[in-house]
Amino acid sequence: MPESTTPSLVKSPKVAIIGNPNVGKSTIFNQLTGLNQKIGNYPGVTVDKKTGWMQYHGSSYEIIDLPGTYSLYPNSEDEVIAHRVLNQLSDEERPEFVLMVIDSCQLSRGLFLATQLIDLGLNLALVLNMADIATRKNIAIKSFEIFKALGVPILSTDARGEKGLDQIRELIHQQNFSKKSSFINVEEVVDASLLDEVKDKFQLSNSYQAYQMLRFGEKDKTFSLEDRNWIKTKLAESNFDLDKAQLEETKIRYRKITSIVEKAVIKTPDVKQESGIDKIFLHPVFGYLIFGGILLIIFQAIFAWASVPMDLIDGFFAEFAGWVSDALPDGPFSDLISEGIIPGIGGVVIFIPQIAMLFGFLAILEDTGYMSRVVFLMDRWMRPFGLHGKSIVPLVSGVACAIPGVMAARNIGNWKEKIITIMVTPLMSCSARLPVYVILIGLVVPNERIFGFVNLQALTLLSLYLLGVIGVLFTALLLKSILKTEEKSFLMVELPTYRAPRWLDVLMTMYNKSKTFVFEAGKVILAISVILWVLASYGPPERMDAIRAESEVKLAQASPEEIPVIVNETSSLLLENSFIGIMGRSIEPVIRPLGYDWKIGIALIASFAAREVFVSTIATIYSIGSDTEDELTIREKLNQQINPITGDKVYNTATAFSLMVFYAFAMQCMSTLAVVYRETKGWKWPLIQTVYMTALAYVSALLVYQILS
Amino acid sequence: MFIKADSIPVTRAAIIQEILDSPLKINLMELGFLPGKTITLHHSAPLGGPMAFKLDETILALRKNEASLIEVQLL
Repeated sequence: MPESTTPSLVKSPKVAIIGNPNVGKSTIFNQLTGLNQKIGNYPGVTVDKKTGWMQYHGSSYEIIDLPGTYSLYPNSEDEVIAHRVLNQLSDEERPEFVLMVIDSCQLSRGLFLATQLIDLGLNLALVLNMADIATRKNIAIKSFEIFKALGVPILSTDARGEKGLDQIRELIHQQNFSKKSSFINVEEVVDASLLDEVKDKFQLSNSYQAYQMLRFGEKDKTFSLEDRNWIKTKLAESNFDLDKAQLEETKIRYRKITSIVEKAVIKTPDVKQESGIDKIFLHPVFGYLIFGGILLIIFQAIFAWASVPMDLIDGFFAEFAGWVSDALPDGPFSDLISEGIIPGIGGVVIFIPQIAMLFGFLAILEDTGYMSRVVFLMDRWMRPFGLHGKSIVPLVSGVACAIPGVMAARNIGNWKEKIITIMVTPLMSCSARLPVYVILIGLVVPNERIFGFVNLQALTLLSLYLLGVIGVLFTALLLKSILKTEEKSFLMVELPTYRAPRWLDVLMTMYNKSKTFVFEAGKVILAISVILWVLASYGPPERMDAIRAESEVKLAQASPEEIPVIVNETSSLLLENSFIGIMGRSIEPVIRPLGYDWKIGIALIASFAAREVFVSTIATIYSIGSDTEDELTIREKLNQQINPITGDKVYNTATAFSLMVFYAFAMQCMSTLAVVYRETKGWKWPLIQTVYMTALAYVSALLVYQILS
Repeated sequence: MFIKADSIPVTRAAIIQEILDSPLKINLMELGFLPGKTITLHHSAPLGGPMAFKLDETILALRKNEASLIEVQLL
C-alpha cells in the first residue's frame, strides 16, 4: 500500500473543487452549497470567483469552485486562476483540501491533472463522476486499482442523478483527504540542483512546486521584479529548456497513467454509436437551419416574455419614485432621490429579465452539449473576420441586448479574438433600438407593399438589422488588421454527449449573471444616470427661475383646460434651458450636416443613458407631455415640426434615415460601456469603442443625409 | 503510410504515430492525443471548417491546422 498521511483536523477548512471542463464540477458545487454562494472577482482578471458554503451536521465548510482546466499549465485566463490557487500563489485563497472531479469515461485525461495535483503535495480526494454514462457505455472502473496506485481516497458519483453526493459531504466532513509524496519524479525532467536553489530561494519544500515556479514565475506579474529577474537569470544560466521539460513531463506522466488505466478499466465494446443526432445537428445544410430555428425561438421567447416583467419593473419604479416624491418634503434632495437615483436604479433593474432569460437559454444550450456544436459549425465563418467560433454566442445575444453578449465573450481564450468580439457586439441591433426605429419608420416609410407581398416598413426594419451585421463584420475586419498578438488562435473543444439540462445549474447561472451585472456594472450606470439627470434638470439659475416664474403667472390665469398645455410647455422650456439643452444647442453646428437641429441634439445626448430614452426626450421637447406613451401622438407631433429657416419638415425622409443609421451605429448605452469596462478591466477599450462607434455613426449618417437630401 | 489527421476520410479510424512540433503540441497531448491512441473522424464541418475526432469516449473538435499536426496511420 502506498504511504499516505492524513492531516490533523482543521477548523472550518476550505475545499477547492477542480476538474477538466464538462465533468459536472459545477453541478457538484451547486448541489453541495445550494443557494449559499457568492460570486467575486479574482484580482486583475475577469474570471468569476465562485465560493459557497456547505452545511453538514452542524459544521460549515467553505467550497471554492475553480474554473475547469486540463492541466496545471494554463492556456487561458480561467486556467491561470486554477494554477495560481493550487500553487498557493494568491494570498487570500489557500484551500486546505482539493476535491478533484473526473469524468469516468475520460479517466486518463482526468488522472493527468489529478497526478499533477498529487505532485504539488496537495491534500486530495478524487470523485469519479458520470458513473451512469460510464455504465451506459459499458465501462467498468475498479477504483481500488486507482487507489492502490495513487493512494488518495476515491468516490464514485452521478451528480446529475444526485447519487453519491452524501458520500462527498461525508468525505468533506471527515476531512478524508490525503497527501501522497509524489507521482512522477520531477528530477527526471529538471536538474535537481536547480530545483534545490529555487526551493531555498522561495522557501518551498516541494520539488514540483519549485518546478512550477521556474516555469511561470518569470511571467507572473504579482511577483516582485527582483524575484522575476532571479528566475530569469537562473533559467538562462542553467540553459534550461522549459518547453522540452513540459513535453517530457507529459510523456512520462501519460505513460504511468496508461498502465494504471489498463489495470483499472474494463471496457466491453460499445454496441450503439451515438453519432446519429450529430448527423442532423452537424449537417452542412440542416445544421445551420436548425441553429437558425433555435435562435428564432429564443428571440421570440425573449421578446414575448421579457416585456412583461420589464413593464412591471418600469411601472414599479415610476410608482415608487412618485411615492417618495410625495413623502419627502419638496426640494433638491427629494428630486435627487425621486428623479435621479430611483429611476437610475430602475434603469439597471430593467435589464435583468433580458439578461436572466438570455443566460438561461445559453445555459440550456451549453448544458445539453449543443453549444459546442454551434461553435464547431460557425468557426469557419467567424475566422476570416478575426473572430472565433465562440464569438457566435456574444453576437447572437447582441440582437436582444449587448450586455449579456459582452459578458459571454469571456469564454474566448484568445485575447485578440475576445477584444474584437467585445468591440463589435454592441453594433448588433439590440432591442433598445427598436422603439426608435419603429417611430422613425412609421414617420417616413409608407405602409405599402412592393411586389404585392413585401411590406416596405418591415423591409426597412430588416435592412437596419442587416446594417448592424455589416457594421460588425466591417469593424471586425478592421480590428483584425490593426490588433497584434503573438498568441496563436486555436480551436480545441470537446463536443460532449447530448444530455438533458440540469435545471438547478441553469437557474444558478441566471441568478449569478444577473447579480454580477447589477452589482458590478450597476454602480457605473447609476453614477452616469444621476449625472445625466442633474444635467437635464438644472441649468443657469436665473434662466430656469425666470421660466418657472413666468409659468406660475400663466398658470394662475389659465382655465382648467389650458393647465396641461402650459405644464408641458414649461417642462419643454426647462429642458431647453438646462445644461443638456445648452449642450444640445452648442453641438448643433456639428450635427447640422446630418440634418439634425438642436432639439434632436438634446435627444442624442440624453440617449446616452439608453437608446430608448430618445422617445421620451423627444416627447418632452415637443411638449407632448411625459406620460404620453402613445406612439401616434409622438409621430403626429414630429410630423408637424417645421424648420423655421427653410420652412420644410424637420423629420423628412433624409433626416429620419440619417437618424436611424446614427442609432444603428452610435454607442449610446452606458450600461454596455460599464460592462465593457468590467470585462476589459479598464477604461481604454470602452473609450476606444465610444469614439469609434460615434465616428462610424457620424460619417454614415452624414453620407445618408447628403445622398438623400 | 503515414498521413496527417486532417486528411482522414470520414468514419475511418487511424492510429496516432506522432504529434509534430508546434506551440500547440502540448495542448494536443494534454487533451489525450498521444502516440498509440486510435482516433476516428466523427464529423467534418463544411468548406474546410473544424473536424471532430472521436478519441476514446469523447469527441474533440480541432481546426484543420491543428489536425495537420497529428501524424497518423490509417487502419
